[in-house]
Amino acid sequence: MSKASIHPDESLLTAYSAGSLQLSQALCISAHVEHCPKCQQEVQRLNKLGSELMQRLKPAPTSEDLKASIMAKLDEVVESPEAERPVRADKSIPRCLHQFVNSGYQELAWKRVSPDIHSVELCRDSNGAKVELLRIKPGGAATTHTHLGDEYTVILEGSFSDESGLYRKGDFLLRDGSHRHRPVATQDGECICLAVTEGPIQFTGLFSRLLNPFIRRSYA
Amino acid sequence: MVSNKTSTDRMASLQSCMRKVAEDRDKAAFAELFDHYAPLIRAYSLAREPAADLVADELVQEVMMRIWLKASKYNARLSNLNTWVFTLARNCRIDYLRRNSRFVSEIDPTEMFNNIEDETPGPFQLVQQNRAQDNIRAGLEKLPQAQSEILTKVYLEGKSHQQTSEELKLPLGTVKSRVRLALKKLEVLVAR
Repeated sequence: MSKASIHPDESLLTAYSAGSLQLSQALCISAHVEHCPKCQQEVQRLNKLGSELMQRLKPAPTSEDLKASIMAKLDEVVESPEAERPVRADKSIPRCLHQFVNSGYQELAWKRVSPDIHSVELCRDSNGAKVELLRIKPGGAATTHTHLGDEYTVILEGSFSDESGLYRKGDFLLRDGSHRHRPVATQDGECICLAVTEGPIQFTGLFSRLLNPFIRRSYA
Repeated sequence: MVSNKTSTDRMASLQSCMRKVAEDRDKAAFAELFDHYAPLIRAYSLAREPAADLVADELVQEVMMRIWLKASKYNARLSNLNTWVFTLARNCRIDYLRRNSRFVSEIDPTEMFNNIEDETPGPFQLVQQNRAQDNIRAGLEKLPQAQSEILTKVYLEGKSHQQTSEELKLPLGTVKSRVRLALKKLEVLVAR
């Protein structure tokens, strides 16, 4: 059995570097990359590759008017003040999530999903994908489920395991619709994950299957 | 074809323009940067949206203004100028697409793509990074056309692997394996 993958594969990293991923997917890659020196190095090189490909393009000449109008604006433009980065209260929160979380995960309006799980929706992407944080209590289990679309997960705190292996802080997981899994947080602490789901989750347990119509409605 | 010597001289003169813009707010130096980068930025935009001349001009304006404003933040020791401009252009393009798409995303990309550049690398990493850039440039020259074509689609046209496979009428697996092969040859992938 091969070791479970905890890094985004090269096609995801390439699309991230090229800027062609959905922002919700890029958010997950960014959260992982900040904690992963190996992927940082690869993204750096992918950016270099992008720049070399750009240099090899056949230049498309600009009009003299465009140049003149830009040159004329140089004295007027000033850097917008919000370009200054806010002070990071909690360095363990990835930079890309600071737009949703300021001082700590506890400040968020967590909602109880099950006795073991709380969640908070952060936002929706333009394709309807749901971006949320999940908090699983120590030893707590998520309901067995599959997905209609892909699910991207990055572990922000703690660790959990499922049928394929054990995952720790910073690890990145991609689960497609065919994947049926039941993550369980480890006993030693709470587990907080960033999760992006592109379609509604399908519960596969006997009882919780009854919930599916309700869950799906919340995506309408 | 441009020889190595000329391209090194060219880079050195662009770097010196950057310094003049940063330190002296030198407009003539900025005009030189404009002459080199603006047509490339325009080509980059047109690669994704052919015939969208207004979009391309807007991207040129956006990126050149950022170069002017952020010149003092650029550190020649830490990053290659071409790479710095590429990441600016890419970030502006992401921003533009976000602002102009029919379905608005609630996600702000500002802090999503710059989590790497400002870590301060040690001297060893710097040498390694410069060598990586040289390897990639030299490697691209030798890459079979089938592989460089796919990289161009993915990077410059912003196509997904799926779209690339449809356009080139190749199986998705072939697209993925060509990308992987090319990245290995260019030594972009760190040994896994």
